[in-house]
Amino acid sequence: MFLFQNALKSITRNKLRNILIGIIVLVIAVSACTALSIRQAAQTAKEDTLSQMTITAQISFDRTQAMEQMAQPDMENGKPDQAPDADTSFDRRNFDFDILQGSSLTLEDYIQYAQAQSDGDSYYYSGAFSLDATGDLLPYGTEEDDEESDESSETSQDFSMQPPGGMENGFPGGGERFQVNTGDFAITGYSSYDAMLSMFGEDGSYMITDGEMFDETSEELTCIISNELALYNNLSVGDTLTLCNPQCEDETYTLTISGIYTNSASSSEEQNRFSMNDPANNIYMNYTALSDIADASSEADNTTTDSSGEEQSAALNITLAFTYTFTNIEHYEQFEEQVYELGLSEDYTVSSSDLTAFENSLTPLETLSTTALWFFLIVLIVGGIILVTLNIFNLRERKYEVGVLTAIGMKKSRVAVQFVIELFLVTFVSMMIGTAIGAAVSVPVTNTLLSGQIEKNEQSNASVSENFGFDPGQSAGERMARPDGSPAVSYVNSVSSATNLTVILQLVGVGILLTIVSSLAALISIMRYEPLKILSSRS
Amino acid sequence: MSLLKLEHICYQYGRNARPVLNDLNYQFDSGNIYAIVGKSGAGKTTLLSILSSLASPTGGHIYLNDQDVSQIDKYRFRSRYVGVVFQNFNLLSHLTALENVVLSMNISGKHFDTPKKELALELLQKVSLSPDEANRRVLKLSGGQQQRVAIARALSYDPDIILADEPTGNLDEETQDEIIRIFRLLADEGKCVILVTHSPIVAQAADYVYELPRH
Repeated sequence: MFLFQNALKSITRNKLRNILIGIIVLVIAVSACTALSIRQAAQTAKEDTLSQMTITAQISFDRTQAMEQMAQPDMENGKPDQAPDADTSFDRRNFDFDILQGSSLTLEDYIQYAQAQSDGDSYYYSGAFSLDATGDLLPYGTEEDDEESDESSETSQDFSMQPPGGMENGFPGGGERFQVNTGDFAITGYSSYDAMLSMFGEDGSYMITDGEMFDETSEELTCIISNELALYNNLSVGDTLTLCNPQCEDETYTLTISGIYTNSASSSEEQNRFSMNDPANNIYMNYTALSDIADASSEADNTTTDSSGEEQSAALNITLAFTYTFTNIEHYEQFEEQVYELGLSEDYTVSSSDLTAFENSLTPLETLSTTALWFFLIVLIVGGIILVTLNIFNLRERKYEVGVLTAIGMKKSRVAVQFVIELFLVTFVSMMIGTAIGAAVSVPVTNTLLSGQIEKNEQSNASVSENFGFDPGQSAGERMARPDGSPAVSYVNSVSSATNLTVILQLVGVGILLTIVSSLAALISIMRYEPLKILSSRS
Repeated sequence: MSLLKLEHICYQYGRNARPVLNDLNYQFDSGNIYAIVGKSGAGKTTLLSILSSLASPTGGHIYLNDQDVSQIDKYRFRSRYVGVVFQNFNLLSHLTALENVVLSMNISGKHFDTPKKELALELLQKVSLSPDEANRRVLKLSGGQQQRVAIARALSYDPDIILADEPTGNLDEETQDEIIRIFRLLADEGKCVILVTHSPIVAQAADYVYELPRH
């Protein structure tokens, strides 16, 4: 107890020395508090958002990996012996088109993989194909007197990509062909309203203006159509649309309009090259009804002949979009691992655009956090060196005191403890004041630095965008999904609170560390002092 | 049985150096004042350092009540059994006279029935320091007053032996007499007072005088 009292007396009666140490510790504390608060803010922002976030994920075929595998020379077949340029370039003749063609999973597969989900997680899906107009019905945006346009809208666009074996249309020919049929209308069926919400967005760009939404479980062929399409063809709720298979005009389907929607989203000219890509020509229904149409088309068993004279099935194929939703990140990560145990091929990857967008949104804050860490370490090292030096000088000044105390019987270890208590008390008080100041300034400082970082990121992105025509903040999918150039990444641009208990505990740790490090040299010196020598030299 | 006994004490600074102290055999008993005198360089202060355990003899033994001092922890020895009055007082300047005395009591680790502050004030009064002077920082006290504080500090934990190095060195005649009076008072109370001095006045006041030969 007397050591503590003695330490207090020593502090209060050697103000100048202790104020100097206090100021240095204060600067360290303010800097450390601000730096640690920035890191904590980044961490909190990440955790808070993640905890509130419903993560959606998709299983997709890893085409990049497949292409890389195809591009690699076949060592076993001795192909590297060929000319170097033949080996390193993409060889169309050896390209296995089946790999790309067989890259779709069935609905049953997706549902089976959903077993890797945890309690509370769910999934939804949608399917799509295109149908052509029949009779007087016209897709929106096609003029009756515009023959070229009309023709293009009714003609099946045939992009012939030939598998290996021959040369046709500039591609090695033979075997099956990939056909991309573009009808007049894109028909999309949703498994649930959740699926629709995810597709339409919750920003209010879609709105039912007449009639009602189709029943999500009904097997009736009811649908909703766009306001533009309704006006264009003078259609209203209760009317029917008769559409046909783009590859077989005799195969028709009649849909009843249950509602009419408006869509505030605009589409680009590029998108509207095919009428089905115009949002106004999107027709929505439930998945059950869509599936019934596809089943009916298969049963009709119609065929078509392609440009090479081969007969192909004209049945409508549903393009599936299957989405898994997870209540938290742990469930998602668990799914990522377990889905492969359920038999998913390594050729497929699990990805989440939500997470990618979320990670992108944190980029400036993460950058700031890393900078803050370095700043913190530098402040700690430089501050520590200054404190050590200052304490060594202090101890030299107090050598006589050490001599007197030990000469009258105080053990060196107790002298050392008293000195450490003194340093600790000064450090503690300075740390408290520094933490209070740091806590007060950390939020505005963080937000100011963050806005600067965001500006820097945006300038960098703008520069890349100007030079290369795309925003590096966007993923490839986002670039395709946002052709209007709207910003893909919504950066986290402010933090509301930064200093919390974790930061305070970290600062306590910093304080203890500084006390130990800075007093270490002093302690070693004390243990080496001999009272007789000190007092003799003083005499 | 002597309170303190020196047997064949030798001391030399360095292995090949000339011995400062050579084969000293002294005895010190309670209730007496001993003066250790000698010419400069005779080793008076060295002997005092050895007696206070600030230095260890290079030869011989010291016994305290027949117990070899080398077997006692030197810090414990200094803080309980001997009270040292240094030549230049060696008081802590940032503390008051009273605090210097209380600190010494605290370091000794002894239990006191009376509050330490009260005891310290009594001691300071005993060496003729008023309560006002007792609460002054030592730097604001005169040399004689500082010497009294040093004596009070040496007495604070009630040791059997009081060691003083040139206790009247820088003091005027009147103060010297006052200090000698205090030491006599302590000896009369049963303390063993050992004074290292070259002052004839102090030596005359002692009961026994040991003169150190110069080697």
